[in-house]
Formats: sequence, C-alpha cells, structure tokens
Amino acid sequence: MGRIPYWNINLGILIDAFAVPMIVIFVYGMYGHWKRIRQGKVRINPDLSKSAGKIGPVYIYALLTKGILGTRIYKKIYTGVAHGGLFWGMVILLLGTILVFLNVLFGLPVFRGGFNRWFMSFALDLAGIAVICGILFFLFRRLVFPPERLTEPKARTGFSPIVLLLGVVILTGFVVEGGRIACNGIDNGSFIGNYLSMMFGKTDAWLTVHRYMWWIHGLLALGFLAYIPYSPLVHLVLVPVNAALADPMPGTKMGLIDFSSFEDEESEEMPVLGAATLADFSQKRLLDYSTCLWCGRCHEVCPAAQTGKPLSPKGVIITLAESLQDGHVEDDSLIDSLTSEALFCCTTCAACMEACPALINQPKTIMKFRQNLVMERSEIPEMMGKANSSLELRGHPFFGTGAGPRDWCKDLNVPVFEEGKTEYLLWIGCSVTYEERAQQIAGSMVKILSHAGTSFGILEDFRCTGDPAKQMGNEFLFAELAQQNIEDFSDMGIKKIITMCPHCYNSFTRHYPKLGGNYQVIPHSLFLKSLLKAGRLRLNRESKTICYHDPCYLGRRNAIYDEPRDVVNSMGKLVEMARNRNESFCCGGGGGNYWAEEVGTRINQVRAKEALDTGADFIATSCPFCLLMLTDGAKKFTEDQKIFDIAELVALQLEER
Amino acid sequence: MHIVVLAKVVPDYEVPAGDFELTNSRAHARYKRMMGLYDENAIESGVQLKEKYSSSLTIVSYGIKGDIQILRKAVAMGGEKLSLVVGNSDDPHIIAANLKMAIDKLEDVDLVLAGQQSADMDRGIVHGMLAEMLGFTFIPQVAKIEQDGDQWKVIQNTESGSSELKCGGKAVLSITSVPENVPRIPVVRSIFAAKKKPVDTLSEIEGDAMLIDEVLVNIPKMESVCEFLPAEDDMAETAKILLSKLREERLI
Ligand code: SF4
Ligand code: SF4
Repeated sequence: MGRIPYWNINLGILIDAFAVPMIVIFVYGMYGHWKRIRQGKVRINPDLSKSAGKIGPVYIYALLTKGILGTRIYKKIYTGVAHGGLFWGMVILLLGTILVFLNVLFGLPVFRGGFNRWFMSFALDLAGIAVICGILFFLFRRLVFPPERLTEPKARTGFSPIVLLLGVVILTGFVVEGGRIACNGIDNGSFIGNYLSMMFGKTDAWLTVHRYMWWIHGLLALGFLAYIPYSPLVHLVLVPVNAALADPMPGTKMGLIDFSSFEDEESEEMPVLGAATLADFSQKRLLDYSTCLWCGRCHEVCPAAQTGKPLSPKGVIITLAESLQDGHVEDDSLIDSLTSEALFCCTTCAACMEACPALINQPKTIMKFRQNLVMERSEIPEMMGKANSSLELRGHPFFGTGAGPRDWCKDLNVPVFEEGKTEYLLWIGCSVTYEERAQQIAGSMVKILSHAGTSFGILEDFRCTGDPAKQMGNEFLFAELAQQNIEDFSDMGIKKIITMCPHCYNSFTRHYPKLGGNYQVIPHSLFLKSLLKAGRLRLNRESKTICYHDPCYLGRRNAIYDEPRDVVNSMGKLVEMARNRNESFCCGGGGGNYWAEEVGTRINQVRAKEALDTGADFIATSCPFCLLMLTDGAKKFTEDQKIFDIAELVALQLEER
Repeated sequence: MHIVVLAKVVPDYEVPAGDFELTNSRAHARYKRMMGLYDENAIESGVQLKEKYSSSLTIVSYGIKGDIQILRKAVAMGGEKLSLVVGNSDDPHIIAANLKMAIDKLEDVDLVLAGQQSADMDRGIVHGMLAEMLGFTFIPQVAKIEQDGDQWKVIQNTESGSSELKCGGKAVLSITSVPENVPRIPVVRSIFAAKKKPVDTLSEIEGDAMLIDEVLVNIPKMESVCEFLPAEDDMAETAKILLSKLREERLI
C-alpha cells in the first residue's frame, strides 16, 4: 500500500496549527539575539563597497563555504564527519518533513515511485541514522572523554538537553515508521522502519502505539525547533550569518580612530578609545560573541593558551558572550575581569581566527581592549611600556640596544634613495636597524639587490613603521609615526618599497593606505622569488635540507606561503614542520611580546624545538622578529647557529658561485 | 599642597655605543632630545602624590625653548603647568640658582622632586645645591614618599640598603628608580590637554659659576669579552663558579 499521510491519525492537520506557536516562539528567541546584538555601536558591516561575490554587506562565497558547508569544521576529521552527519541529516529530515506538508496541503506527489523509495524512505532513514550517530559522538565526547579545548577554561552547559531532545525526536520518528510498516506491510527503501517492524511483529496494539507516538514525535519535533534559539544550537542560524558578514581579508584589520575630537577638551563627542565595555564594540563583534560555539578550537591553537599564559581566546569570547547574555552591556568591570595581564599575552598571530569555525575575530576584540588599557588607562606591561616610550622618543622600540643603526652598513656600499633616480626603497625597519643579529638580513639584501642589478636605495635616517605601537594597542602613537612617514615618503617621491619585515609589509599595505599612504609594497621573499624567476639570480643548489617557519604576519595575515618556499626550494630541499602554513605556530614575538617577560613555557622555545626536530640543516624564516625569537629559543637546545633569514641563505649561495 | 618636579631635557641617553659621537665634548646634536631618565621617575612619583593628596603639580625646567615640546610629556603625565627658565649653562651652580628663581616665583611650593641625576652630565648635585639655596631639607635617592601628619615619611634606597626617614617642613627630594615609579605612558586625552596647559617662559638670571674648567671629556670604548659557563648539569655549581669569577675580577 502507498504511504498515506496522517494514516491512523485523527485531526492530524492540527499539527500544522501547532507549528504556528512554534514559529512565534522561534522568532521571539531570535529577536532576543538580534536585540542584544543591536546594542553594539555601529550597524553590522557598514562597508557596502562593491566587490566580487559580495551583495550588500554579505560575502556570498564565505556564506556558502564557511557558513553553510562549514568547511572549517572538517579540519578535525572525526568531529567534522560527526557534525556533517548531524547537520546534513537534520537538513534532509527537515526537507522530508516539508515535502510531507506540501503533499498534505497541495498534493505534491512525493510518495510515489522512485522518489518515495529513494528519498522519502531510504534517504530519510539514512539521515536519521546519521543524526543519531552524530548525537552519540558528541554526547560521548562531551560527557565521557571531553578534550581539553571543550573544558578549558570552562565547558558549555545546555548542549546535552537539546541534543538528547533531538535524539528522542529521531527515535520516536523511527518507532512511528516501524509501527506504520508493522501495520501496513513492508515499505521499500525504509530499511530502519522495515527492520523495526519485523522486531515489533504485527499486533493491533501497534495501531494505538503508532497513534500516540505520532503525536509525541510531531510535538517534540516542533518543541525542538522552537527551543533552538534558546539553546547552543542557535549556531545553526548565527554561524552562517556571522560567516556572511565576516571580512574575508585574512587577519585582523583595526579600523582608524579619529583623534580630532580630542583637540577640543570640552567636546562631548570624545570617543572611547578601544573598548572597555560591551557597548563599545560594534554590532559585528557582539554577533561574534553570540555565535561562539565554545568549541575551543581557538584555545587549542593559541600559543599563549598552550604555553601556560593567562590568556585563552575562548575564555575571552565566552566571558563576553555570557556578559552579553546577562545584559551587562555597560559593565566596565569586564576589562578587569579579563585582566590586562591576559590581554597583553596575545601575540596577534591570528591562529585563533584561522581555526574558528564560526569566523569570529578574537584578536580584534583583544586589541580593542588593549587600546583602551593603553590609551585610556595607561596600563601596559613594564617592558612593553619601555618599548613604547622608546618609539615615542626615538622613533624605534629597541631601548637598551648595543647595536648602532649604522653598524650594518659600515663596510657596504649602500645607495641612498634618490627621488626620480631610484626605483625601490629598501625599507630597513626597526629590528633590522637596531638588532645586531637582524642587521645581517639588511647586509644580505644589499648584496643580493646589488648582484641582481636592482635600482634600490635606503633612507638616510632610520625609522620604524609604528607597527609595534599598533600591536601594543597605542593606535595614537602608530598614527603619528605613520603620518610622519607618509609625509616624508611623499616628499621623497617613494612609490615602490621592498620590506624585510612582514610587520612593516602588513602596516604599509593594510594600515597606511587608510592614512593616505599608497605604495607598491613587496615583501623580500616575493622579490627574491621574482629575481630568481627572471633569471637575475642564480643559486648554488645544495643537498642541504631547509625547514621553513611561516611568520604569522606574512602567512596567516597575508596568505604568502608559496613564494618563500619556492626560494627555499631553489637552494635546498624543503622540509616542513607538522604545524605549517596557515596552521603554523607563532614564534612568540608578535603583539609586542618581543618585549614581554613571559610566564609559563617560552613560545619561542616550543617553536624552535619543532623546527629542530625536523632534523633540517637550516631553519629559514622571512621575518626578523621570527629570526630573533627562534634564534633565542633554539639556544636552549643547541649551540649551532641554524636559524637564518631566507635573504641570508640566498646571499650565502650567491657567494659560493 | 604644591609639588614641583624638576625635569631636564637631555640628548638620547641610550645612543648605542657603536654610534656614539661627541661634538665640543657633548653628545652630538643629531641625537634625539628627551626627558632625563630619573626625571621621569620623579614626575611619576609627583603625579602619584598629586593623585593621593589632591595636590597641585608644576613642572620646572632649565633649558632651551625647543625643550617645551618634550616637556609637554611631563605635563601630559599629570603636571598642571610648566615653567621653563631659558638658558644653556652646564654649570650646576648657575642651573640651581635659576631653578630657585623659578620656584620662588611660584611662591607656595612645599615639596620639590628631582631625578637623582641627569642623564647627560650624571653629576647629581644640582638638587643638593638648590635645597641649600632654598633653605629646604635635602634627601637624596628617595624611593617612596608618604605624608605622615605634617611630616614626610620617605624610604631612601642606597647601594648598601634602605632607610626610613622622616622630615618636617619643606624639602627637596631626589628620586631614584624603583618598580613603583615606572613612568606611565600618558593617556591620549592628557596628551591633547597638555598642549593647552600654560607654559611660563622665564629669562635666566645670572648666577655665580663654579671655579671649574672642563679640560677633557673622555668616553671609554665599550668592549665585551664573553665567557660561557656550563649551565646544563648543575646549576648550583655554575652559580658558584660565576660568583668566584666575579669576585676574582673584583666586580662584586
Ligand atoms: S591571535 Fe594568537 S595569541 Fe592572540 S588569542 Fe589568537 S591565537 Fe592566541
Ligand atoms: S571563538 Fe571560535 S574557535 Fe573559539 S570557542 Fe568560540 S567558536 Fe570555537
């Protein structure tokens, strides 16, 4: 017999009527989220600039891939498959239910032929099994063997009840199906229903059981849907929305702060610098906090959290999520409860952002708090404070340095940039200028560029882009230094810049344009690659193995992974650490933490050990801060000098020709 | 209560050894000018006292007009106004006399704080002379100050230890550097506010120069010799070796 909707059920159509209050409860719950998020400062993603794949504020590609397909979830294969089974199973079951309604209301012929057999029977049973498997996996993992990332610094409650409810919905659905088949005979394709019907046997009692179960199943299913906005499963709605509105540019972009209102002491419009309360954040950030899954993937990859520092990105986000949920939007004790000690541990490496399946921007939140601590409360760790003062006084953060800025070029014939004559400015940057070990990168680059016949020159005076100030939260000092540089660059007619430090590259390309400084900026790894490609450099390729460490500001922040590897490959055999490319582990120096007195295990030692464990002859990087941090970290394990910048290695191979 | 903090603008006191250069026996003019190292500790101590006892705080300096820009940082840290005696003498007696003149003009000063020594000449004698001229008590190398009734209770840190002292009346205290007076980074609001705060520019008065002629200024070349001690096996043993080597060299 073909399947008859509402078979054995009196007034079954009433279930459609019950759907109405369910929808009202659901919408009311979602409205609660919307109301909380609207307490943020500006409307969500006001950037309506047109770009490919963007409609209004919505990034379509991100919505489809990261929001709906949940591509990031699958980076952890077991969780990904379980999540996929649960999510897509639910989607198929929902689709099946909608088709049943359409059949009842409009007679849509879904219970006929192959469609009935393969979709309405087989696929729906399979979907139910997938959901049950997913539920069992998640319950087992959360309740029996929870990984540290789920429990640290705090585990989420409220997940089990809704998942159990879903399980009951699915199981009652199977019982209804089994009961129906027990009474009406085999339904081809319903492999679970057929199996259960055989177990149940054919008795008249199944008519009653089926009838009750049908109502229980229907009402529980409606209850489950109505409960979603009040439960952790609200992420079904919020994650796609958050993904659609998240800026796809990798890493954190900190917007500009307008300091002009501070000129007028009496002005009532003085902005809060950074953020001290939830109300100081934008609506997009509040959406971030509401969306957080508490999955701890950020915690697991965070170099600070993993080396015993007091910071956990998950901890920060869930504290804010709870505060938002509790309505403490104006509570300015929030920043103290997070502690400045923790907030300054962030290396701004963006590993958390990269790992987050909900596309939350954790470093931006941390940086906003830092800005407030530094610019409104004058709170900064002592060493960072000294670096900051040095930047303000001397234009570079390397206080107490023994290396003179002219030391590195004493024996070299280094041209000075001349307007109209020189093509590229070779930007030296603060670490390369003032740190003895890093100075060797500049010497190597000068040799390489001269060898290749590149038209380049350096500045007569030595300076910093201001990036360390920005990373430490002193946006004001950054803006002052950047504006001065921009003015000077424009006086000198500088248009093309080669950088040796990814932090400089990041500043020039991401922050300077907003202040009016637009240049063609090329990281030295890319420039070296282009020289090799053009045949202007030829290297002596050796059988040595070289391990490459991805600097966070070149890799995760600017998606430059291949070119440095190509350069390495042209000199020796590239070997990889387990954590590489966008999953690379930070050297520990970012976010101003080059000047930090670390608590817990030293990040640079962890990373240096990973690099040394590859057994490579050399460890290459393309950031002077990474070079310094890893060189220092490696001292714990070896006396050999194994860490080099790729420019140093290239210069060595040139010399051996 | 009215507190005065003396601040002096000096050439960068951290010019790397490899880059250091003298002209006319003084640091080369190309080096950035900045507030003296200990002076910032003195300002921080002054600001903390101001916040604790609701006092007023004035920054007083002797130097060139171009220093105003740099001294505004002291104001941004918490000073209410700035008084600069314009002059360029290196003579401590003349500097002290001019600072006295500026302080006398303020009339109601109760406490004068100064960095324990400037970061250019490193002599550490101006504040002592100033105290003598003002008729104030002078206590050098002060790490902590507290009001105790109508007296000041201060902790003095010297190389050999620390002592707790009390003094009544007006005083000049030279401030040493301790973790409690690490200078704050001025907040943005204060940086802007400092631009509008009053600056008194005073012409210098003549003072009696000291009877000293500077014949030669010599900066020793820095040389470093490294010796690595084995640190892996027995740290206690390594520490002992280090101690004996430092004693041998008469460094401790
Ligand atoms: S940016 Fe890096 S250090 Fe900062 S919270 Fe994220 S993972 Fe941790
Ligand atoms: S911020 Fe992202 S990665 Fe971290 S717990 Fe929340 S959802 Fe997971």
